Amino acid sequence: MKLYCLSGHPTLPCNVLKFKSTTIMLDCGLDTTAALYFLPLPLVHSPRLSKLPGWVSKDGAINLEKELKECSGRVFVDSQPEFCLPEKELLDLSTIDVILISNYHCMMALPYITEHTGFTGTVYATEPTLQIGRLLMEELVTFMERVPKAHAATCWKNKEIQRLLPGPLKDAVDVWSWRKCYSMQEVNSALSKVQLVGYSQKVELFGAVQVTPLSSGYSLGSSNWIIQSHYEKVSYVSGSSLLTTHPQPMEQSSLKNSDVLILTGLTQIPTANPDGMLGEFCSNLAMTIRAGGNVLVPCYSSGVIYDLLECLYQFMDSANLGTTPFYFISPVANSSLEFSQIFAEWLCQNKQSKVYLPEPPFPHAELIQTNKLKHYPSIHGDFSSEFRQPCVVFTGHPSLRFGDVVHFMELWGKSGLNTIIFTEPDFSYLDALAPYQPLAMKCVYCPIDTRLNFHQVSKLLKDIQPLHVVCPEPYTQPPPAQPHRSDLMLELQPPPMAYRRCSVLGLPFRRRYERIHLLPELAKSLVPAEIKPGVSVATVSAVLQSKDNKHVLQPVPKPAPVPPSKKRKRVIEEPPEVLNPKPLLSGAVPLEPFLATLHKNGIMEVRVEETADGHILHLQAEDVLIQLEEDGTHIICDNNEPLRTALRDLVLRFLQKL
Amino acid sequence: MDSDCLTLLPAVCLVLADPKQSPPDDTSLEKLLDWFKELHSQSDEQVLLQHQPCLKEFISSVCASKTTDPAILSFTLKLTGLLAGTKQGFHLLEEGGLLVCVFDREAWCVCDLWEDASVRSGWMQGLLNMLKHRQALDFICQKGLIKVILQLQNDRSLFVACLANQLLVHILNFLTSSNMTNGGNAVGSSESSLSPDWVSVSTEIMTGEVEALSSDDHPRVLQGLRLLSSVTSQCGEPIRSMLWKDVLVPLEVLINRGSESLTQPLMSVLQAAVRTPLLGKSEYKVEKLLEAMLGSGNKKESFQCAALIIKLEKCPEVLKRKAIDIILLPLQCVSAQSQDTEKMNLVLKEQLSHKASCISLLMQSLSSLAELAYTKYQFDGIPIHSVTCSVVLLLRICFGNCPSSLLYINTSTHLIGCCKVQRCGLDTLGALSMYEENVDLRKDIFSVLLDYLQSPDSHATVLKKTYQATVRWIAVCSPFPDLLHFISHDLFPVLEKRTCDLRWEVRDSTLEFITQLTVALNGNIGFIEALHTSGMVSVLLSSLADAEGYVRASAVAAVGEAVTSSFQQTVLVSNSNLLEEALKQMMTILSQDTEGFPRRAVVKAFTSWLKGSHLVTAVHPSLSSVLSLGGNDFDWEVKMHTLELAEVLMEKTLTCCPYAVQNFGSSEKTLLTQALSKLKEFGLFDLLFNCLFDCDRPVCEKACALLLKLRTLISECTDFDYALVLNLNGNRWGDEVQSRYLNKQARGSVCVTNGVTASDERTDSDLHCIKDISLPMILHILDLDDMQRTLRLSSDHVVNSARSLMEDILSAAQQSEENTVDCY
Repeated sequence: MKLYCLSGHPTLPCNVLKFKSTTIMLDCGLDTTAALYFLPLPLVHSPRLSKLPGWVSKDGAINLEKELKECSGRVFVDSQPEFCLPEKELLDLSTIDVILISNYHCMMALPYITEHTGFTGTVYATEPTLQIGRLLMEELVTFMERVPKAHAATCWKNKEIQRLLPGPLKDAVDVWSWRKCYSMQEVNSALSKVQLVGYSQKVELFGAVQVTPLSSGYSLGSSNWIIQSHYEKVSYVSGSSLLTTHPQPMEQSSLKNSDVLILTGLTQIPTANPDGMLGEFCSNLAMTIRAGGNVLVPCYSSGVIYDLLECLYQFMDSANLGTTPFYFISPVANSSLEFSQIFAEWLCQNKQSKVYLPEPPFPHAELIQTNKLKHYPSIHGDFSSEFRQPCVVFTGHPSLRFGDVVHFMELWGKSGLNTIIFTEPDFSYLDALAPYQPLAMKCVYCPIDTRLNFHQVSKLLKDIQPLHVVCPEPYTQPPPAQPHRSDLMLELQPPPMAYRRCSVLGLPFRRRYERIHLLPELAKSLVPAEIKPGVSVATVSAVLQSKDNKHVLQPVPKPAPVPPSKKRKRVIEEPPEVLNPKPLLSGAVPLEPFLATLHKNGIMEVRVEETADGHILHLQAEDVLIQLEEDGTHIICDNNEPLRTALRDLVLRFLQKL
Repeated sequence: MDSDCLTLLPAVCLVLADPKQSPPDDTSLEKLLDWFKELHSQSDEQVLLQHQPCLKEFISSVCASKTTDPAILSFTLKLTGLLAGTKQGFHLLEEGGLLVCVFDREAWCVCDLWEDASVRSGWMQGLLNMLKHRQALDFICQKGLIKVILQLQNDRSLFVACLANQLLVHILNFLTSSNMTNGGNAVGSSESSLSPDWVSVSTEIMTGEVEALSSDDHPRVLQGLRLLSSVTSQCGEPIRSMLWKDVLVPLEVLINRGSESLTQPLMSVLQAAVRTPLLGKSEYKVEKLLEAMLGSGNKKESFQCAALIIKLEKCPEVLKRKAIDIILLPLQCVSAQSQDTEKMNLVLKEQLSHKASCISLLMQSLSSLAELAYTKYQFDGIPIHSVTCSVVLLLRICFGNCPSSLLYINTSTHLIGCCKVQRCGLDTLGALSMYEENVDLRKDIFSVLLDYLQSPDSHATVLKKTYQATVRWIAVCSPFPDLLHFISHDLFPVLEKRTCDLRWEVRDSTLEFITQLTVALNGNIGFIEALHTSGMVSVLLSSLADAEGYVRASAVAAVGEAVTSSFQQTVLVSNSNLLEEALKQMMTILSQDTEGFPRRAVVKAFTSWLKGSHLVTAVHPSLSSVLSLGGNDFDWEVKMHTLELAEVLMEKTLTCCPYAVQNFGSSEKTLLTQALSKLKEFGLFDLLFNCLFDCDRPVCEKACALLLKLRTLISECTDFDYALVLNLNGNRWGDEVQSRYLNKQARGSVCVTNGVTASDERTDSDLHCIKDISLPMILHILDLDDMQRTLRLSSDHVVNSARSLMEDILSAAQQSEENTVDCY
């Protein structure tokens, strides 16, 4: 059993598990942080961004004016943003049988894997994962396609040139594997390969293994997976949460007794407690609005935003900010808000029960009804005429490189009254803000990451007791910025197996058993003999048939009736041993009684020698050696067949026969 | 009243003695017993038993009954003891053999009843009640009851065991009391000698005690220790030293054995001993025993013991030093910068490696330190700087922000985010502000406090403690110029954010903190300027509209203080807008807020403004509205606060009038009249009279007291001008005054000379037409003294009387009889 690690990212995993005869990809997360090296794509013509100077090396030797622009003291690539894909060279992607998706954030690289690679397998995901994943992909494609760029910058990627560039571009890794965003057509084709599954549904893969999604409590339809055969169990824990937010709570008990637990998707900000951050978010928001400023929240169009809106729904009235409008701007804003209301069965109990009242499970329905929350596909159109300040705007993309958020940064960045509040933990907020410097607007970093923290995970592991844990390397050491925080790492016994990008791990357990079925007629013919209380043994002669990874013992087909011939009689007499196989022996030969028996049979002179494995008896008069060992008895007796047979029979008296 | 009750008594006794009746509940029986006690104490040796033969009958019938309820038997035991508490009563009961019948359980008809804990407790309570004279003790000794009491010390019921201890202490005390020597009555613990007649009694008890302490039975040792500490603290000489001498050996054994579960009781014994002269005498080894308990910090119980020693008021200094050294060990270890592990003993290491014991040790360490700091204890040999730094460092560790690699990385994982230690540490840090030398550390201290205030993960209770510590430190550091920079650049932005916190508790404590800060820095010009120019005031004003009532109330108080401070520095701050805005919003709160707390706060703010000297005139225009709104509020506490406001207003207005001066000139009279008319304009009299007839007793009482004050004042002014008249019409109180006036007139007790003006002749039929009556007249008509008397009685005084209790018992019995009939 092997694990191929195509991504080292702790929360955007992409691993391939070879288990029995199957090749299973676990998630395919897309690392979008590479976009931070690129210039923002403005929706409205930005004089500032369009007039940036091109980059020329100090000595003038390298001129990349067209590709690189200097902005706020840093150099950015002026091209359509690109993303870092999972490793494609480590193994042949066309050999992958299935892809298991755990949540919509971990499937964004799907089109890169399923299209143009020869992939012919199936993708398994829950319905909300598919639908919301589609929305996020659609949004990403729209963001990119709305602002087309004529040329793709590639010269800077040249190794010789790249090493001469100023940091952080100089230090970017694997730049040649970066790809620009996929198209809508590729998205549709990739998603057409998805087969929907429900929680706890058992899916057979080629009869070899069974995979089951379990609720993971992180987002709508998010799941952990159990991959098991009859004798082995591998659990795959991706983004999971034990907090009470909108999704169904995490199912833990089914993860018990795993041979291997692959653990990914822990919180990225272990020091930030989501409750504290939510409080921080609300108080900064209230402070800004009270002072007459606007609040910009760069966020994904699904996920934490539902919880934020719910929290604000209660907070705004209590903070006396009831009239402040919220705007949610995204090409998929409407669908996201509506989808959240229809997946009732995937929600926590509290929200599920609302549906029976009947009431919408999320209070943002009421916010929309009372006109407090308005959503628009883009800043163009209705929004520009209905826009009222001060307000709170939720919009993407959290990298601040594309999407409507770029416009708001240009619009509000110059005033100290406004505040930008970062809630998504995926991007470093300082890097995200780099092309907008100098910035007068206040910046608040309140990353809300509801995924498991180290404290919760160590409790969970204590509870479910897996034999081995496999995890990304960063989990095995304290965060680099806080080397003294030994509480922010996994400390397990045995220590977890760590992986990084391109690791290939041999998982530390051997398959020892396989289940074989007996056909009833064969079972009927067995004659069990009890060898010790509760254990019976029978010999069986049968034909083993293996098909679709299922093994069946069938009765030996009767030999085809031999055409009658003269030699018939001889044929029957010839192989008596085959019809009556020698009995199987079991038990041990006890030394003292055996010596007594020898004595009784006239063998007087026996010298007993103790060895590491048993005893050697030297029958001195006969010059015979008998080796009595735990799993064998040897009689060494030259040229005296009658004596050997006699001795053999004496030994056999002490053994049980089957 | 008592005579009424005495007539009911025979019937009550019959009901109680009737085994067919279910007994009244315990509370009723206790109340009845209380009444007997009161009667007994008033009767002055006059024996109740003689006048109430029903009592003897009751006792004998209970003893003779085979179906007595345990509750009734217990009551009877206590009652008999009470009645036998006088010599005469004792004789009367003894003559009839009743005493033996009651207290000798061999004589009981139903022996099983002893199994009931309430009966055993009643038995001892009875003996306690009885033990007021020598004959009682004779009785106890002759009947061999001491042995029973000693056995009851180990009763399975804790109440009974505790009572047994109490009884033994009482007996020991009694042996040395004056009753035994000169036949007096008082029980005291003054030093006296023990009469030789009674040596056997004391010996019996003391032998029992020594046996208990030497026993292997843990509960028995525990009870023995409890008795020892009670005797040590409650008995006088020579009993105390006699017992102490006897128990010294087993006590030493117990201490040296070192059992954790006995630390607390052993310490209370030693604590009791420290408070007595035993401490000074070396033969009693008190100090030595304490030292043995303490060890050298190498036992688990050392720390607990050290914490207890520090709490002792009279403790030998050497011992205290040693205890301090030990109690500070955990704190110093956890926050030790060096890798010097050798100093640390194994026990401490072991304790610090477990989360629960680590936390409890540190909390003990911190709270002892805080206790010492509050008394400004001078640590010898331990620099207070380093102790304070340890606390600061510990707070940083708890915050997850520990600066360097630590001795015990494990310990820090126990402590990160631990609210208990954080709260305790912050308390201690606050207490350490007592030491002036610590002000050098203010930069570090304010920085750690700021970290806690800023952290989004700080629990609401931790924030509250942080605020408390911050106020203490700010108060201490107020003379330093860098404080203002800290307040305006670091503190105010955090406070502004905290007033928008999601948790109302945090918003509330933030506003409370701002109020305390304003009060603490009262007169600090720089601070007041910063407060009014930093935008904090507008934050406070917007908090007046908070969704949570408690927060609005705190905001009102904070705004109130801000306004006060602005008026102290009129030159600096243009405050007219603030006062105007504050008044506007506060009046809205008082008239419209749905919750009581903010409305109470508004009235309190006015009271505090009025108490100060600057604001009186500025708030005058609003006063009449405040008085009328506050007086008509639904919430009785708002009314109370309004009356307090009225009181201050009266004082302020009337002090202008030198009524106390003997020689009143006409001008002075006019002054009083002027002041009173001013109060009338404010609507103060309407308020007082309305409140006088309010439905809430405390409100009426307060109003009554104020009116009495006013009456005294007017009566002192001999030649009061009666021109000040009040209109009765349209007032709730007006009707009341009118009807009282009528009543008095009808009885002819009022001679109206002046002060009442009516348009027509006053006849019975048209008295209601009286519109205006002068103030002194009203005060006269209302019998304020009588009203005050009635109001002072608690509102349940009628229901609570012994008579009503007895009637209840009787009627319950009657009802149950009726029910029995109904059943058939």
